[in-house]
Amino acid sequence: MSAVLVEESAPVRAPLHDRRARAVLALARFEARRLLLSVPVVIAFVAYVAWIVWRTRDSWDGHPVLQDADRATQSMPMLVGLAVLLGAARAVVRSERHGTEHHFSVLVLRPWHRMAGHALSVVPAALLTAVCVAGQFGWEALKAGAVGHGSPAELAVGPLTVLAFGALGVLVGRLTMAAFAAPLLVVVLLFVFVLGTGPSGASGLSWLAPVVATTGPDPLPSDLLGRPAAWHALYLAGAALSLALLAVAVAGGRTAAVRAGLVLSLAATVTGGILQAGGATPSKELTAARERASVHPELTCAEHGGSRYCAFPEWAPRTGTWAGVVDRVQAVAGGSAHDRPLVVRQRIDARYGPGTDAAIPALTGAGQVTVGTAWGGNRVPEFSSAVAAVLVAGSEAAGSELCDGRMVTVMWLSLSWQDDPMGALRRVRLDDSVTGSAIVLSPTDPLSMTEGQTDVVRRLLENPPAGTGARVTEHWAELTAPGVTTARVAELLGVPGPKKADSCED
Amino acid sequence: MRGLTAVRGTLTVDLAVPLWRTLPWRALAAAGALGLLVAGFPLVTGAEPAPWQTLMLLRGAALVGALGLAFLLDDPARHLTAPVPTPRLLRQALRVALVAPLAALWWTAVLLLTPVASRPPAGGVTLEALAVGALALAAAALAVRLTDEARPGPFVAAFLLFTAVLAPLLAPEDWALFVQADDPRWSVGHDRWAVLAAAVAVLGAGCGPEPSGRRRGR
Repeated sequence: MSAVLVEESAPVRAPLHDRRARAVLALARFEARRLLLSVPVVIAFVAYVAWIVWRTRDSWDGHPVLQDADRATQSMPMLVGLAVLLGAARAVVRSERHGTEHHFSVLVLRPWHRMAGHALSVVPAALLTAVCVAGQFGWEALKAGAVGHGSPAELAVGPLTVLAFGALGVLVGRLTMAAFAAPLLVVVLLFVFVLGTGPSGASGLSWLAPVVATTGPDPLPSDLLGRPAAWHALYLAGAALSLALLAVAVAGGRTAAVRAGLVLSLAATVTGGILQAGGATPSKELTAARERASVHPELTCAEHGGSRYCAFPEWAPRTGTWAGVVDRVQAVAGGSAHDRPLVVRQRIDARYGPGTDAAIPALTGAGQVTVGTAWGGNRVPEFSSAVAAVLVAGSEAAGSELCDGRMVTVMWLSLSWQDDPMGALRRVRLDDSVTGSAIVLSPTDPLSMTEGQTDVVRRLLENPPAGTGARVTEHWAELTAPGVTTARVAELLGVPGPKKADSCED
Repeated sequence: MRGLTAVRGTLTVDLAVPLWRTLPWRALAAAGALGLLVAGFPLVTGAEPAPWQTLMLLRGAALVGALGLAFLLDDPARHLTAPVPTPRLLRQALRVALVAPLAALWWTAVLLLTPVASRPPAGGVTLEALAVGALALAAAALAVRLTDEARPGPFVAAFLLFTAVLAPLLAPEDWALFVQADDPRWSVGHDRWAVLAAAVAVLGAGCGPEPSGRRRGR
């Protein structure tokens, strides 16, 4: 009982500025609760969480590269930010619309104190976004196939965007004191940042947008990304703080603290903006490092079952997975290929930066196989096809020129051991077909299948005659002899041959 | 009966001037100006947008215009005018009629501001603009009908924005509502837009009359 009495009497004894601070916080808490429970924000967060769950379940085929996964958390918070902007602006305008502005003027809180409360009220929404971002990224990081390192600065972009949009909503509400301003501003922001083609990050100016997305099919090592992420986070934080303090200043808060804060936050914004623009064009060292990584990369190598697996340090945990594929391809191969030591080298072309799809030339060395930085899904049969082509033809360059019956052997080695061989055949072919001639994808130069080879491979994979595996090892020398016809391979493996005789000119 | 109609006619004319004065001019002017800016963006910057970009600009301008219209039925004096003899439906229709010529002029200007080379068929886009404008008005009428709020404009604007973001994502692909001008389904899709506009207009008109009795608890 006495505790309650002390508690109740405390505010009366507290000095005035302390009471003001407490009242501002109370107002911020109240407005934050209203904001988070307002219909647009609730819908936005529900849609955001649903999107996270829907997307993260099978993003990157279960093998995320975390320096790319962190950027994937950035785009959706913009929509949440737009909803927060609407809500924050409406909260600022509310007292004007309901004619209660005059009643508030008799309270302890001056208008700029209330504005500070409004500005603080968007912080919980940003924190909630941070929780969602952490959940999305944590989910990716906990996947068994995850490699690489996320960047805290990239992860901060989502919550900071929400904070900046919320502060912008407060400022716009204060400046216009009109309910129609925020929706119109949202349309403009939608146009500029969301629906627009999205800044590519090539120029310094494009980094003024809250989110600069550069996503390519092939992840790069994190030190070759060349994104000024930390400066961008500083820029966003400075912008959010400047907007909030500007709203407070417009509402009449011209104290020394507000002025100093405004100057500091503007300085942070400008510093971040200038330095991120400087970082947008790759520096000399970065260009040299990218060149080196593309031509003579420094890889860490590991031995698995007689073969060597060389990968960029961040991908080192994945060599065991590659070894599993190589082992299974070699298990169905015969002759010397059955336990020929291979060298699997990870290769990238980083010279054009992230977000580009550069072709990698085939290796000419015997027994060398290329593997990319992405994994899972289609990358698995593509890699196994490259391994099979090297086992049959000797090298990647020779494998990409295969056009005789050996192609059937390659595809059998590549696909027969997979869980769904026909599905893998469909996915590894460029046009997703299982009939007719087609290009077969591989990490480097593609292979090609004629119509006759496709028919034979399909018969082999759909209904493999009993003992096909044994026949492959038994006739290995003939199946891999240069110039063997597809008809002869079909005969050796016990399936009907192709209708047309194939030739290398097809 | 005839006399009553005549009285109503003169009442309508008498109403026009005060209504004209109380229209939400700031919201309409802001939306109109922004819509012209959006549509005139390529002209100002000298860019030559692709047809899909022009279509998006026009759809954006239509959305901006509709956001202005979302505030049209805001009536701060709503609770005072409830018992006046002129029915609410008539007053709301009069508001729409007062703004309609201006809106038509504005939309013509928007269309003319976009580059000729990449402009989509005017009829189809105008139908889309009509539908989204009707949606804004119907949503405003519905908000007036279902709530006691005198100025539901911000709610309606937020609803419209969410619809604009979510509808292209969630609307079934076969409805062909958001197709490009060179798509063969453009005309079929615009039959659907016409149906949509009509349905929404009927809904809006249906929400016009004042409810017959006082709701409980009010």
